Amino acid sequence: MALTTAPDPTRRGTGSVRPDANRRGTGRIRHGEGLAGYVFLSPWLVGLMGITAIPMLLSLYLSFTNYDILTPLSEVEWIGLANYERMFTSDPSWWHSVRVTLSFALIAVPLKLAAALGVALLLNRAWRGVGLFRGLFYLPSLLGGSVALAIVWVNMFNREGAFNSFLALFGIQGKPWVNDPDWALETLMVLAIWQFGAPMVIFLAGLKQVPTELYEAASVDGAGRFRQFVNVTLPMLSPVIFFNLVLETINGFQGFTAAFVLSNGTGGPVDSTLMYTLNLYITGFTDLEMGYASAMAWVFLIAIAIITAIFFSTGRFWVHYSDGEDR
Amino acid sequence: MHPATHPTASAPDGRTYRTPLLRRRLLRGMLAAVLTLPLVGMAAACGDDAGSDGKTKISIFWWGGDARAQLTAQALDLYTKKNPDVTFETVWQANQGYFDKLATLTAGGNPPDIFQIDDNYLTEYAARNATLDLKKYQDSGDLDTSKFPPSLLQYGVVDGKLAGLAAGENTQGLVYNKTLLTKNGLPEPTTGMSWEEHIAWAEQVSKKTGVPGTMDASAIDKAFWVWLRQQGKDLYSGNDLGFTVEDVTRWFELWKDARDRGATPTPDVIHEGNATDITKQLVVTGKAGTSWVWVNQMPELKKNTADELGVIAYPGDPSAQWARASMYWSIFRGSKNADLAADVINFLVNDPEAVKLLGTDRGLPSNLDLRRVVSDDTTDEAMKQSIAVETELAETFGDAPQVPIKGHSKVRAELIKAAENAQYGRVTPAEAAAQFVEACKAAIAS
Repeated sequence: MALTTAPDPTRRGTGSVRPDANRRGTGRIRHGEGLAGYVFLSPWLVGLMGITAIPMLLSLYLSFTNYDILTPLSEVEWIGLANYERMFTSDPSWWHSVRVTLSFALIAVPLKLAAALGVALLLNRAWRGVGLFRGLFYLPSLLGGSVALAIVWVNMFNREGAFNSFLALFGIQGKPWVNDPDWALETLMVLAIWQFGAPMVIFLAGLKQVPTELYEAASVDGAGRFRQFVNVTLPMLSPVIFFNLVLETINGFQGFTAAFVLSNGTGGPVDSTLMYTLNLYITGFTDLEMGYASAMAWVFLIAIAIITAIFFSTGRFWVHYSDGEDR
Repeated sequence: MHPATHPTASAPDGRTYRTPLLRRRLLRGMLAAVLTLPLVGMAAACGDDAGSDGKTKISIFWWGGDARAQLTAQALDLYTKKNPDVTFETVWQANQGYFDKLATLTAGGNPPDIFQIDDNYLTEYAARNATLDLKKYQDSGDLDTSKFPPSLLQYGVVDGKLAGLAAGENTQGLVYNKTLLTKNGLPEPTTGMSWEEHIAWAEQVSKKTGVPGTMDASAIDKAFWVWLRQQGKDLYSGNDLGFTVEDVTRWFELWKDARDRGATPTPDVIHEGNATDITKQLVVTGKAGTSWVWVNQMPELKKNTADELGVIAYPGDPSAQWARASMYWSIFRGSKNADLAADVINFLVNDPEAVKLLGTDRGLPSNLDLRRVVSDDTTDEAMKQSIAVETELAETFGDAPQVPIKGHSKVRAELIKAAENAQYGRVTPAEAAAQFVEACKAAIAS
């Protein structure tokens, strides 16, 4: 940003074409601020280079090696595409984790968005105390990826958990949800869906932006509530839906904490919660195959990039920018 | 965001200056970034162990509970008292996540000088040259192993190198709930019962008490290992598996039969019991009559239940059990204080006062002379019990097997996965066995 605002020396020397005392003044100060700016920026730059960029490039390199964490980096062997080959041809647990992650994202993300939108619609009214409810519904998201929440979840959905006690009130015999390979992943999905606060807040903001005259016009034309929702709210909200969809999909694919806590870091029972990132973690840190784990991470990155690109390319067919003509 | 410059204002001649200026600014920015880097580096370096006052700080890392932490800290304090120039930086945590952390520390070039390790990982570390060969200290006498049982010492040797020194000795122990049995007038299990007898006994317990008689051991590698040795097989033979698909099938079928007869808990409860956490062992949570553990874990188990516990050998011929190094002390290969670290380890296993302090928390003391002293002195009931059982079993101990090979930690995880798959009834024992053996071959090949 600072680079593009670099003051023009010619202008300073000869006086600008448009005499604008203010601009020149700030220009001079900016010049002195340049260095200071970088100095202030440097912690971030160091962070970007040290914590993100360099490790990423290093992991790209490591993905072509047999790095095992314990061996010093200087002694790793270059093994070409062997890691990638193994992933696609001879690692059933990799394919399994891909399936688990896809089914998690395919089910949890749409339901989470639907829940977020539904509650946002309810809370978009001028009820008394609606602010309190907004806060309450947002609360689970504040607890985010917290370990404590995952532990609570495990205890709630145990055989002796609160959820089964609740079911027992209706005479329903519950299951050991978190310890049942057929239900453990579903339990995690419910946890993810329950944390719909962040997209909900964004939906709420989007709903506030929809001009009321559109609804008035629609109701003059005889459109009922449902027609208004389908023909006014959804198109006007589509940019926000798109934003939430992209963000939550990426989030969904990266789900780790809850699966890690629920399964004691194993992906169990019987690999039912072996999310991609958990599999990656186990491969790298428990099995000490960090080179292979790096390859997995890069495939993951590329896959998410492709999925996001697909969203963007389909976006033009259903995302409606009302101010499109202005730009 | 302000527009950068007015497009109308002096664009043509401005452009000629812009590039060099931009570059200079960029350079300056990078310079600033580079200048701050050493600051960060220095901040990190402050945590280094080289004391300027002639003192040396030895870092030491172990897993365990509060009790172990206290005892170990006391023993290390004792060392500092005798050697005022040496201080310690102790880090400890629960077993879960310990090896992840150890690996990360090692990768980060900041591993502890001394670390605790067990046979699940010893070869993983030794084969990758992360552990220092302690043989030279043994040869020089700095590390006195003359009072060690030879097989216990041998259990720390990987590829001819002494990768770890046994911090204690233990063996498999079947812990059962005594209170539950006496309350219901049931007989206690005894060492030497066959596996079938054990399961029949457990079935009785289930029927009479309503508490599942025994934890399903099919996913527990140490039980599988003992059973294999009783069949004349082993977990590993050289760099290969010591068993076949048929062996595993029979093992899984044994336990399928036990489940069908109601001798074990339901699969989800077995799954809970398969966690390594002591506090989750079914015998202390009251969800089963027995748990398959190590004898030295008795005192720790006892702390988690009000019931009285008993401990015997695993079913079958007890000579299949061996004097296992419950855990080792190892020194990181790149440690700058290796000589001192070796002296500290020597102190922890051979100094009478230190060994007395540590008791049997890490297993029976490796030093046989001191083991006698500790067992005579102890007043802790659970500790007495575990010492008595181990001493009794020691008379029949068979030869120690080879230390598990590289990939063993993965093999253990695969056993749990395959056994649970059968427990939940998703596959037959034969299918689970085939799945397990295939996964094992992949795990030890890489």
